Amino acid sequence: MEFKDNIPIYLQIKQYLYRQIITGKLQPGHKIPSVRELAVELTVNVNTVQRALQQMNAEGILFTKRGEGNFVTEDTALLEQTKAKLIKAELEKFVQSMNALGVSDDQISVILSNYLIGE
Amino acid sequence: MDNLLEIKDLTYKKNQKIILDKINLELQPGKIVALLGENGAGKTTLMRIIAGMAKNYQGSVTLLNETKEAMRKAHLSFTDGLTGFGDSTKIQDIVHFYQVIYTDFDDEQFDQLRSFMKLDLNMRLSHLSKGMREKLIIALTFSRKADLYLLDEPFSGIDAMARKKIINSIILWKADQATILISDHFVNEIATMLDEVVVIKDKTVLTHQSTEAIRTNNLSIEEYYEGLYLKEDE
Repeated sequence: MEFKDNIPIYLQIKQYLYRQIITGKLQPGHKIPSVRELAVELTVNVNTVQRALQQMNAEGILFTKRGEGNFVTEDTALLEQTKAKLIKAELEKFVQSMNALGVSDDQISVILSNYLIGE
Repeated sequence: MDNLLEIKDLTYKKNQKIILDKINLELQPGKIVALLGENGAGKTTLMRIIAGMAKNYQGSVTLLNETKEAMRKAHLSFTDGLTGFGDSTKIQDIVHFYQVIYTDFDDEQFDQLRSFMKLDLNMRLSHLSKGMREKLIIALTFSRKADLYLLDEPFSGIDAMARKKIINSIILWKADQATILISDHFVNEIATMLDEVVVIKDKTVLTHQSTEAIRTNNLSIEEYYEGLYLKEDE
């Protein structure tokens, strides 16, 4: 995992964990790695991991069992919402870079459907 | 939060020449902080003063309410480049010295760090590469139970693998409330593990910032640091 150094690291850790959850690498109801394990895995500061996890706890996507660590929510509606947010964020990135290449919003949908049917 | 370290109006002269000029700095517990500045900016001198090794300064240095050098030394761990040991000294002799001198030296912790760093007790200082030597310094420094750890340019002149090993050992072995001050003249490769950066320039502290606050302005830590020097050149 390589982080961009001009975006707050805790936001990138959150994005990384959302992705792990949505792709099923971290399963609903299962324990996620400890703060220190994540810090070593991602080569980041323990405080930064803690900040990301605190926010995800507040959002409800993670929950804490005292003395046991952090677990992924089993709330399917919330997981769906999180997935929808990730998809929207990816679409925004895509549209922005298309716009930057001079492709208008109208053209994007045409180009995209052509691409998908293999033209 | 209560400060761990407080430096007030610290001025240090050597042979009538000002090396550090009116330094003010406060560090909180539980942080990893980079001390940045060009070579010769006074980073090592500042560390030696905090560690109680350089004396005759003006101003005050307070570590956990202690201002006297001897009392400060009990709360901090600093390994001054192993300069006091001859080239033929074996690692085990250095470890023995540490065990005798420092009552807070934790043998078990050292064993864990030593095996993590793959250091052989029978090796002599003269046979250690730059990277191995730094790993030994880190292992010795972290084997003491201290509130403040001072690491003087642990990453200079070592390869990427050794650097990664040292960074991981810092993340793994740092106690929650302990603070680590790491000096470097280059920030890029350690930026992701830092809480704060302190930049020394023109003999004083130019800035002290949280790394996440810098990134909130879409600046990388390196861009921020380089920007401070560019302003001067204009």
